[in-house]
Amino acid sequence: MRLRVRLFATYREIVGERQLAWAARDGIRLRELLDGILVRYPRLAAHRDTMLLAVNHAVANPDVVLKEGDEVALLPPVSGGRA
Amino acid sequence: MIEIRRAPIDVDAVLNSVRREDAGAIVVFLGTVRAEGDVRTLDYEVYAPMARKTFADLVDRGKAKFGVLEMSIVHRVGRVPVRGDSVAVACSAAHRAEAFAACAWAMDEIKRIVPIWKTEHAARNRRPASQSTRRRGAA
Repeated sequence: MRLRVRLFATYREIVGERQLAWAARDGIRLRELLDGILVRYPRLAAHRDTMLLAVNHAVANPDVVLKEGDEVALLPPVSGGRA
Repeated sequence: MIEIRRAPIDVDAVLNSVRREDAGAIVVFLGTVRAEGDVRTLDYEVYAPMARKTFADLVDRGKAKFGVLEMSIVHRVGRVPVRGDSVAVACSAAHRAEAFAACAWAMDEIKRIVPIWKTEHAARNRRPASQSTRRRGAA
């Protein structure tokens, strides 16, 4: 099945693309998709622990099973700083 | 009013969007780009569909939590120069305490959970994002 992977800020600069068209097997979990992305773009791996994942514009659990046409986003941290 | 826009924020329009006959207080917060070192502009990158959805959720939660009557959130995308407004939050309520509290809470939540990132641009050069991406708290 086909998935769309969106990249922002630091991750976009590392990969050099705003989005990727990704072919994956049916029933793949978000965590497994991320594993595959990190194999292809190993420089992203250093950010794994702070990366937030979203599916179809909502924060998602890594165990969620993806569906044809889903939009997955890898989001750098947006928190922190002074009030 | 929920909006992500490239053009400057029309503050009067944001203010008027929360006016109501039963509101005795309106609080407007503006986040503006601050001169810091040689920084002349901030470039805002937004995951727009998710940001809109999160803004709408914040408005619903703000109304439920504080009893505010209306809440509007407008955020810029793209380059905003020093002194420019990057975000506006307006809240109306029967009384000022709820309006102040809701506005402060909404801004904290925006910085905490809305997918928006900013990169500093100096007078001459754009700094690598890895060194210059401001933590979003420093609006």
